[in-house]
Amino acid sequence: MTTDFQLPAIDYQAISPLLILFGVACLGVLVEAFVPRPARRRVQLGMALVGVLAALGAVVLLAGTNVVTAGGSVTVDGPALFMQGALLAFGVVALLLIGERRVEPGGAFVAQPAITVGSEADQRQASAPGATEVFPLAMFSLGGMALFIAASDLLTMFIALELLSLPLYLMCALARRHRLISQEAAVKYFLLGAYASGFFLFGVVLAYGYAGSVDLAAIHAAVDTSQMNPALLYAALALIVMGLLFKTAAAPFHVWAPDVYQGAPTPITAFMAACTKVAAFGALLRVTYVAFERLAWDWLPVIGVIAVLTMLVGAVLAVTQTDLKRLLAYSSIANAGFVLVGVLAVGRTGASSAMFYLVAYGFAVLGAFAVISLVRDREGETTHLSRWAGLGRRSPLVAGVFTVVMLALAGIPLTGGFTAKFAVFSAALEVGEGWLVIAGVVSSVIIAFPYLRVVVMMWLSEPSESTATMVAPGLLTGTALGIGALAVVGLGVVPGPVLDLAHDAALFLR
Amino acid sequence: MSVLLAQGVEVTAGEAWTFWLLAPIAVIGALGMVLARNAVHSALWLVLTMLALGVFYVVQSAPFLGLVQVVVYTGAIMMLFLFVLMLVGRDAADSLIETLRGQRAAAVLVGGGLAALLATGTYRWLEGTPAAGLAEANAEHGGNTEGLANLLFSRWVLGFELTGALLIVAALGALMLTHIVREPGERLSQPEQMRARFAPGNYPAPKPGPGVFATSSSNTTPAKLPDGTASPRSISPILPIRELTAAEAADKETER
Amino acid sequence: MLSQAPTLADFGHDTWWVIIIKVLAAFVFGVVMTLLGVWFERRMIGWMQVRPGPNRAGPFGLLQTLADGLKMAFKEDLRPRGSDRLVFLIAPCISAVCALTALAVIPFGPIVSIFGERTPLQVTDVPVAVLVLLAVSALSVYGVVLGGWASGSPYPLLGGLRASAQMISYEVTMGLAVVTVFMLAGSMSTSEIVAAQASNPELSIGGATLAVPGWYVLLLLPTFVIFAISAVGETNRLPFDLPEAESELVAGFMTEYSSLKFALFMLSEYIHMVVASAVITTLFLAGWRAPWPVSVWDGANQGWWPLLWFMGKVVLVMFVFVWLRATLPRLRYDQFMRLGWKVLIPLALGWVLVLGGTRVAQVSDLSRSEQLWLGGAVAAVLLLAVLFWPARRQPSRPSPAEQVAARPPGSFPLPPLDLQVPPSPQARRAVAAKRTAASGRSEAEPAVKRPLEGRAGTDPEGGEQDG
Repeated sequence: MTTDFQLPAIDYQAISPLLILFGVACLGVLVEAFVPRPARRRVQLGMALVGVLAALGAVVLLAGTNVVTAGGSVTVDGPALFMQGALLAFGVVALLLIGERRVEPGGAFVAQPAITVGSEADQRQASAPGATEVFPLAMFSLGGMALFIAASDLLTMFIALELLSLPLYLMCALARRHRLISQEAAVKYFLLGAYASGFFLFGVVLAYGYAGSVDLAAIHAAVDTSQMNPALLYAALALIVMGLLFKTAAAPFHVWAPDVYQGAPTPITAFMAACTKVAAFGALLRVTYVAFERLAWDWLPVIGVIAVLTMLVGAVLAVTQTDLKRLLAYSSIANAGFVLVGVLAVGRTGASSAMFYLVAYGFAVLGAFAVISLVRDREGETTHLSRWAGLGRRSPLVAGVFTVVMLALAGIPLTGGFTAKFAVFSAALEVGEGWLVIAGVVSSVIIAFPYLRVVVMMWLSEPSESTATMVAPGLLTGTALGIGALAVVGLGVVPGPVLDLAHDAALFLR
Repeated sequence: MSVLLAQGVEVTAGEAWTFWLLAPIAVIGALGMVLARNAVHSALWLVLTMLALGVFYVVQSAPFLGLVQVVVYTGAIMMLFLFVLMLVGRDAADSLIETLRGQRAAAVLVGGGLAALLATGTYRWLEGTPAAGLAEANAEHGGNTEGLANLLFSRWVLGFELTGALLIVAALGALMLTHIVREPGERLSQPEQMRARFAPGNYPAPKPGPGVFATSSSNTTPAKLPDGTASPRSISPILPIRELTAAEAADKETER
Repeated sequence: MLSQAPTLADFGHDTWWVIIIKVLAAFVFGVVMTLLGVWFERRMIGWMQVRPGPNRAGPFGLLQTLADGLKMAFKEDLRPRGSDRLVFLIAPCISAVCALTALAVIPFGPIVSIFGERTPLQVTDVPVAVLVLLAVSALSVYGVVLGGWASGSPYPLLGGLRASAQMISYEVTMGLAVVTVFMLAGSMSTSEIVAAQASNPELSIGGATLAVPGWYVLLLLPTFVIFAISAVGETNRLPFDLPEAESELVAGFMTEYSSLKFALFMLSEYIHMVVASAVITTLFLAGWRAPWPVSVWDGANQGWWPLLWFMGKVVLVMFVFVWLRATLPRLRYDQFMRLGWKVLIPLALGWVLVLGGTRVAQVSDLSRSEQLWLGGAVAAVLLLAVLFWPARRQPSRPSPAEQVAARPPGSFPLPPLDLQVPPSPQARRAVAAKRTAASGRSEAEPAVKRPLEGRAGTDPEGGEQDG
């Protein structure tokens, strides 16, 4: 027996947010097993909220930490903490939406997803209380995302990628209404996601072949010192970035997004749109800035083309959409392009602008999906644009919130969207990437059209028989809406503190 | 064994022989897996590839990995695949209709292109790279298994633990998507079924067949009991009892 | 004495003809043990069922299996029309090959000299030999599963399905069980596990040191029990022979097989039993090492003698296999799965945890008394948990008489529960005939009617039964 075994030093405080998230998730699984059914939802929601808030608190306490720990698996640095904080804030809002049961009897989730769609048993469970397993799943996913941002080697990053994706695939299949579309979305997401993971893993292997290590820092060092053929590294970079861009829904890896956004239960769509984007861009930033920074001149043009393509595809296709969830899906694609512009402005300003953009976009999109979950008819949510005509006259308050959110997404001044776009474009200009800015501005103009069309339809059309009704938001959705709207306006009016915070945080630890 | 012990930079003849014997088999297995029409055959081809890979690992001084590959992948995972395939049905060959026009040609072209690019690329990029071998790594902790354990529980301890979390998610998901909670009383247990069978109002004995008193071979015609009355039990409850017309009911002169 | 025990370094140096001899010997061992094993099983079961068993061909019927095998070879080889040609052929081969391969890593004895060459009495050994055994047993199930599938008929398919589910369930248990053996032996190689059981660990109880036999059947009794149960499950033997359950599935996966292919399945089944016995012997009964009274003699563990001890132990374990078959009825499928997943796996996991905790406590800096305190605390917690575990209250069963009394009127008629059989109708008729002759009226009628009285009236079709 060998006795030379040494446990690695683990800075438990530095990884406490992760531990809290995973711990609560595991507890949630136990709750499913041992707590009686009627009490589960309250216990789960309470535990999840407390857990995420505690993790958020831990992140705040960690501010300023710069440490690599857990045997070199986790890097806790400024960007990681900033984005973990954003992620957890979005997580709170998304959990509020997930926990909502006022708007629809039983909540947005089906009670027993195993029951065949359309069967007698399915009709019987039409208004049964929804599955509470979503809470632990969401917590696992959040934990995976938090780790994804902070992973300091590609293998841990891969595990985190799986850990954040698997629950998402599952949660996509749990919609209460339109279950077949929901299950189809889950299968599509799962299959394409599996391919993307495969690409990522291939890339990791090639990177290991080049650098002899999967550590991001070691790869960075090996760029200068390795004797291997650099083509190996380019292939690795291409495959890894492909896997990451899939998660961010950048063109041409975006095709899953509209179907999945439309099919998934709306709270999960909100969760995906806000949180997954942060996580994916966090990892992308870390990989490109930490491991492949010395190759920046090689990957800048390629990812630049992808960014332009993403913005234009998202913007142009958003114009043609008649379904609000699909519209927001294409908008999320376009927004991924805008964030990419920030990423491409390699440097502290670029990172901080991208991070700020993610925060502004996340709150806006959470608010948008919160409103979508409220507009309903007998069949459930009505997402067709024509049904929204005249909603502004019927329920001005919520329609007002939606208007603010839409304006923010369109990038109108005095909203978070404007500040964010401004930050991203100025960062790109600073490093001389003018062509990206031109493409960005053009697509901003294009994509403003569908947003404003919704606003115009809501306020300037007469309500007709086909106009859907707006359900009064319950406490949870109301809170979510309030947070979203306040954040959007706040980031537009006084962006200073968050911008400064992002700027202070935007230094990667290598 | 000589292969097992042969490490270092030199690739021994045994290792080379094993590789060149098994590599084509592995590739053929992979191709067969993609091309086989029958799902079970597909799975079997994959088993072949996995076995070949397992042998490669063993030959490259990673016996633990190689055998775990066999136990876990071919033993458990592919067995689960087969289990599901067999449940689905043995003739479940894929439909060959293309839903997207030209998709197959495009898939062959693009997939083949990517494979060729990566294969030739890795070959060219790695050509002439000296083999490091695992001898040094294996010797460090007194063996392959020990070395692996050391890595798993020190450098990669977080990833190891999180793989556990991943498995929890997978188990939870499998349970959610397949398990239907049965309310108590929804499905009768065997004793309950027996009790119900013998409860008053139920008739536990076999139902009367048409028997020798049948007047017609139609299964909508009730059997006649010896006293001449019709037994409604002899026909399925979903079939309407057929009234015999006077002509049908009339004496057919066959009784004598 | 220990110099005779091979270590891993002793393998891989044989000359080519020694290798061939050893491989052939292992093969012949497998086949001969099958021939003898079938005979042994039939004779033993016959003995337990108080009948002679096969006793015609050869002395004590020893050649019966050989005769059966020859007969099998001359039978027509049938292949069902719906079968999958190639897979149908491969399946029995996979079974047989895998079963035989497992013999390669079984240590039959210490280092011996064969025509002047000193070599361990074992075909080969690798650092992960026990994993080889697990892998081979995992692969051999492919034979059963594919045989069931390729036959193209329902009963074999069901047999194959059961086999695959059974393998997945019991392979996990088996793997978890052997983990404890690895923990104690510090190795996965079979020869080193045997060597590790040679040492007698000293146990100090209240100051007095006591040398405990190093056999893992004693040190790791829970592992042994779990492993033995899952080994029976893995070999598809009664009471776990669900893949071929003849009362449910005709002959399960081999229903459609005949002639030599069937013979191959039979062969692999018995080799499996032999291998399972040999593995249990190796892992828990100290392999070829002599048992206690013999081990006093110095030469017991040297030369060719250990082969005898090994064979003795293998036959002993095989006897238990046969004994189980003669004694126990087959489990229902769901009971079998429940046993695997809800009893054996948690048990194996818990035992790994306990053993791991003990090991950690041993190597940690805790003092003796602290260790005792810790162990005592854990034991106390477990004891309390067991004592205060909410017991499921068994509802008291009413007696048969009460149950009968509780039946609502109109229930189906019951035969008399007190086993007082009513007089035979023939006897009655004779009495009745006499009475009629005497008084012209039968009185036996009401006595017969009484047990049937209950159902008259409420059953709308009561008339039907009475005719």
